Amino acid sequence: MVQADGKLTFVDHACAVADSDEHLWEVTAGWLAGGLDNGERVLYFEDETAAAVLGRLADDRVPVRGAIADGQLVVVPTETTRQILTGPTDQLERLLIGHIDDSTARGWPRLRFTGDTSSALLPSGGAERVKAFERVSQRVLGSHPSMRLLCRYDRRRWNETAIDELRRMHNTELVSPAAYDDNLLRITRNGQGAARLAGEIDHSNRLRIKTLLDTMLDQALRSHSAPTDIALDLSSLRFLDVRGAVSIVHAAEEFPSTHRLRLTGVRPRVLRLLDRCGAPFAAQLVVEPHPERSSSLVLPEPVAATR
Amino acid sequence: MKVQATRATQAVRLRHTAGFHDSHADLVAQLTPLVVAAAERGEPVAAILRPVTEEALLHALGDGIELVPLALPESTETCSGQTVAAQRARELRELTRGGTRPITVVAEHISRFDGSDGGFWTELDAAMNVALAELPVTLTCFFPELPLHQSIIEGARRNHDLLLVGGRPLENAEHRTPREVLTEQPTSAPIVLRPPDIALTFGAWQLHEVRAAVERAALAADYQPDRAEDVVLAVNEVATNAVEHGGHEAELYLWTDDVLICEVHDQGELSDPLPGLQPPHPADPKGRGVWIARQLCDTLHIWADGSGTHVRMKAAR
Repeated sequence: MVQADGKLTFVDHACAVADSDEHLWEVTAGWLAGGLDNGERVLYFEDETAAAVLGRLADDRVPVRGAIADGQLVVVPTETTRQILTGPTDQLERLLIGHIDDSTARGWPRLRFTGDTSSALLPSGGAERVKAFERVSQRVLGSHPSMRLLCRYDRRRWNETAIDELRRMHNTELVSPAAYDDNLLRITRNGQGAARLAGEIDHSNRLRIKTLLDTMLDQALRSHSAPTDIALDLSSLRFLDVRGAVSIVHAAEEFPSTHRLRLTGVRPRVLRLLDRCGAPFAAQLVVEPHPERSSSLVLPEPVAATR
Repeated sequence: MKVQATRATQAVRLRHTAGFHDSHADLVAQLTPLVVAAAERGEPVAAILRPVTEEALLHALGDGIELVPLALPESTETCSGQTVAAQRARELRELTRGGTRPITVVAEHISRFDGSDGGFWTELDAAMNVALAELPVTLTCFFPELPLHQSIIEGARRNHDLLLVGGRPLENAEHRTPREVLTEQPTSAPIVLRPPDIALTFGAWQLHEVRAAVERAALAADYQPDRAEDVVLAVNEVATNAVEHGGHEAELYLWTDDVLICEVHDQGELSDPLPGLQPPHPADPKGRGVWIARQLCDTLHIWADGSGTHVRMKAAR
């Protein structure tokens, strides 16, 4: 069974195979946000990735601070994550059950887990250890219907055979196809005339932006039902170089007068550059700043686990 | 590094005159009528003078005439003529209200910026010709008839399109373009620093590593996030040029003291000796990177030698 996204209320044991870091943050933030939206308690086992994941949640306008403050979202710090995952499997099982019981006692209807499991499991016992972890999880899931678990696998660390084997241990795979992903920049299409850019645009990949905008405009012009705004969500665009900014401004200037290019969720860093590259003078370019980010380097405070 | 020359079609508006004096009294005597004439035209007058000269000039002028001081380089040891010219262009663009109000500027040679050979002055005036080309500036630079370094006089005679003779600006037959001047006397390398704290070889596909190294260094040195981002952008643009034009590999050196210093070295030739000094044309996507980098750095010095093109950037908090 394959599902694209949504709150995934009834998915209890899902996996996702990530092509890149951006893909990983995307799928992780989506899973965590679904849980928060559903009123579930959400636990993230981090391995030096909390900043990236919390940053992506902030990009996605998920109210992270509030969720952390009222204990709905718990980030288990790196050291604890590693300690748990390298310890004996029966300890792990007790711990998972402990978390579930605790969250039930606090009145949460369900408990959703995910985290950087492979990065601690792999060095301590290889693929066998990962599979052992999956078997423990399956057992706990069987006896605790309020548990939800997303297991993430990095395609760059596993071969296809191993990934297929791991896939079969889950009843759902979360799939979110990208229009482009080079591990620096990830482009996903969200509906007609809309795309999202995550990562960094520089000399190595900036031609992709021109191609993307050309394609989107072509599609919009060919379809009567298509919106006249081409929307690029830049919430997760961490870097844009000068030529990239100039090419976006130029693309908008060359749009037919019937169409506009709308940039949404623009971070301050990208906004300052667009201003320096003539964006305010491009009549068909609309630039909307990200509402949450006053500065793109300021992330939510690091959080300690409450156990 | 290669930055295309643009807008040859636009008229040069800068009038750049050289004057020579044989004494301080002579200097003040030549400055006074220039300032009076400007005041009579209703132009503001900006001055790049030593305090002693400014005082004597104000005394000679009497009441009612004001001089707008322009900034002098802070330090004499790392003088980069192109950096000073970029700074002056910023100030003068503002004083001329974006090039709509003419201004008269008077300047004098100040020997403490001579460096080892006086080359600073030749680079500065060549760079002023590029950076101020489109601004309505009447700039007169005074030099002593006998400076310590003869090259200063030679440079002055090539960089100024007019020479002040008997109080009148006359066409200068020896005038050369900045490119010709800097081919004859290339921009010099800045003073050598200790070995860098961080060195990184990069290609076109590792620019993100360059950015990460600079960002880490800036944040570790307590730069504000916004400032760190701007410094990262400046270095990225220079590094991009290096791998775009300078062959497939370039070097990044970082000095992580209080003030971040960064060098980018490539093996390419410098086709434009003074890139990024003119505001980029909206229709020209090239050349904007170095222009923006110059706006963001306190020093951006580009020089070339037999081994390639080199850029040193200094960006204070």
